[in-house]
Amino acid sequence: MSNQHLDYDVLSALQEVMEDDYPLLLDTFLSDSQVRLNELHKATDPQKLGQAAHSFKGSSSNMGATHLAHLCHQLEERVKHPPLNDIEDLVNRIDNEFAEVRRLYDDERQRFAY
Amino acid sequence: MSMLAASEPLTVLIADDNMTDRMLLSSIVRRQGHRVLTASDGQEAVDVFAERRPQLVLLDAMMPVLDGFEAARQIKELAGESLVPIIFLTSLTEEDALVRCLEAGGDDFLAKPYNQVILAAKIKAMDRMRRLQATVLEQRDQITRHHGYLLNEQRVAKAVFDQVAHSGCLSSPNIRYMQSPYALFNGDLLLAAFTPYGGMHVLLGDFTGHGLPAAVGAMPLAEVFYGMTAKGYGLAEILREMNAKLKRILPVDMFCCATLLNLNFQRRVVEVWNGGMPDGYLYRSESGEHVPLRSRHLPLGVLSRASFQEKTEVFSLAPGDRLFLLSDGVIETANDDEDLFGVERLERVFELNRDPTRLFEDVQAALGAFHGESRDDVSMVQVEMVEPGELEPPATVYSDSGASSPLNWSMTLELRGDTLKRFNPLPYLLQLLQEIHGLRSQSGALYSVLSELYSNALEHGVLGLDSTLKRDAEGFAQYYEQRSTRLNHLKDGYVRLHFMVQPEGRGGRLTIDVEDSGQGFDPHQVMSRSPEEEGLSGRGLKLIRQLSDKAQWSEDGRSASVEFSWGALA
Amino acid sequence: MAVNADYSADAKELTINIKGRFDFGSHQDFRDAYERVDGSPQAYKINLKETTYLDSSALGMLLLLRDHAGGDTAKVKLVNSSTDVKKILAISNFDKLFEIE
Repeated sequence: MSNQHLDYDVLSALQEVMEDDYPLLLDTFLSDSQVRLNELHKATDPQKLGQAAHSFKGSSSNMGATHLAHLCHQLEERVKHPPLNDIEDLVNRIDNEFAEVRRLYDDERQRFAY
Repeated sequence: MSMLAASEPLTVLIADDNMTDRMLLSSIVRRQGHRVLTASDGQEAVDVFAERRPQLVLLDAMMPVLDGFEAARQIKELAGESLVPIIFLTSLTEEDALVRCLEAGGDDFLAKPYNQVILAAKIKAMDRMRRLQATVLEQRDQITRHHGYLLNEQRVAKAVFDQVAHSGCLSSPNIRYMQSPYALFNGDLLLAAFTPYGGMHVLLGDFTGHGLPAAVGAMPLAEVFYGMTAKGYGLAEILREMNAKLKRILPVDMFCCATLLNLNFQRRVVEVWNGGMPDGYLYRSESGEHVPLRSRHLPLGVLSRASFQEKTEVFSLAPGDRLFLLSDGVIETANDDEDLFGVERLERVFELNRDPTRLFEDVQAALGAFHGESRDDVSMVQVEMVEPGELEPPATVYSDSGASSPLNWSMTLELRGDTLKRFNPLPYLLQLLQEIHGLRSQSGALYSVLSELYSNALEHGVLGLDSTLKRDAEGFAQYYEQRSTRLNHLKDGYVRLHFMVQPEGRGGRLTIDVEDSGQGFDPHQVMSRSPEEEGLSGRGLKLIRQLSDKAQWSEDGRSASVEFSWGALA
Repeated sequence: MAVNADYSADAKELTINIKGRFDFGSHQDFRDAYERVDGSPQAYKINLKETTYLDSSALGMLLLLRDHAGGDTAKVKLVNSSTDVKKILAISNFDKLFEIE
């Protein structure tokens, strides 16, 4: 699995599919992801944590955020094996990665600002 | 990259709790030419499905409220007989995904990140499956409908046929039979009727084919059988007519195998014709011997009128003797090991039988014990030889008003040379005599006497056959062989019948004179024979005396005169 | 069941071979064998060597062939019948219509 932040080939394929709705997709992903991150932080039990990570993994991979998806996958696997000592660390790394890709998506979004 | 539109736009339900994925997938599917419905959890997916009935469902495996697997189960249940393909959307690991999806009733799965080309291919494949299922269900319903029509047609055909066949005498006490109610649609036919002389005609037939084509030939055949038997025609004439009719109306590849019997209780003989049926049996109750009645002829409806052979075999009968006829369904009954019941088992039943009155039951029991698969074409009939007068044929129903009746007339009919070969005057004479209302209550006796006089004149008179030949079974066969040969070669000779009807008081009198060109015989000698000396022969004269009011013969035996009288009609 | 047909060397007699069950399912194949053939054979030979079973619909088909071949003037021979097949032909007295070897 490649560790690039954003796969631009995926983005161009998305652009072709979504056509005029491409900016809307980007916006939806960004606001949706914020919600997911909050879920990750708020999750109290391992199962809820795993589900949130799973869902975030899905959408990040669809959107070409390869490394982010990879980290979510790690978290998803990790919560299956308690005790969950270094979870905090993994969640932070996800936060950071998202911050990074968010910048890139904003740049991408700028190309379509009316 | 351009997408090919689907051959037929579908309505697709996309259920995923992730808004981004939902939006993306909806666009991909819409781009492929389909209409899209969405749901964001499992319960909503089930509700939307129930209301809008999409043709295809894309279902995320992990969803809140109701997970994907449970939602899939409920959707499949709602779909019922129709196939609604469900494609699971999953980013579980491969093996995991496949097993869980299939167990939940899913038809396929699609991994994230979504690949448009793969998705398009899967949608196309799933839709092909869906349409195939729909076609199968439609054809099944069509078949069920048509089957219903067919059953109804058969019901109607059977009802019509039962009307045609009802006038038979299968319920006579000397007949036992076994036949499936739907034998008709296997081409199996069983008919029985009294002759005007108090005898009986029986027919067991088997038409080629199944269903309505097999049944349709049975109706004209039954009409000929009953119509001609009632008029007093003999087997030969009835066979000729049945063969000609079937030859004319049936297609070339259809025919009717049949065995016909003509029982004459007074003369104690049975005439047999078998064309294509399995062996029938004549069971002699005294000796326990069973004589096979073999197929000697082609089935009915094959040969032209010119080539048809109506030659019958004649056997003597004693009271208690039985005739067995069976269709090939009996022999061909097969058990689980695919063994056939066969002729050997049947003959063994005859051999083991100790009580002739239970012969029919013994055969039925043997068939049952064989554990054969029960078939619609197993038909069996047993006809017992009884004393004349033991059976009471139903009184003929006359269709006229009975008002006028010809009471003063006379008629002479002379049959000469080779007219005697093929022309049987009896049915015509019977019809004539039926006009005499006063005689109707004695019609059985009248016809028997007339038939006896005529055959005596023909056989003993013109053909010169020696009646003492009929003393035993072998002589019997010889007698009928000779009868057939001599009749074929006949050139000269005559039989003359004279009828005179005169009123007498408030009733009347019929006088019948029969004269032949033969050598004659000594009536005194014949009458004075003891019963033992007579054997099977010569009973004719005593019988004629018994049944008529007055009977006398000329000294040279070449002419006979009988009288019947009647009083005032009630 | 399989049906095939070939002409004799002098092209006067057509032999039709019947393999397997000769029953109502054979109808079309049997008809094609004698209807879709070039020329008109003067005689027919039906080879029943590999015929395992024969029922009344087969008898009907033989009658159709006989009718096609001229009815009473037709020359149709049935050859190589097994004992079982011979029995069926005997009961129906088809030896009065066909030459049976």
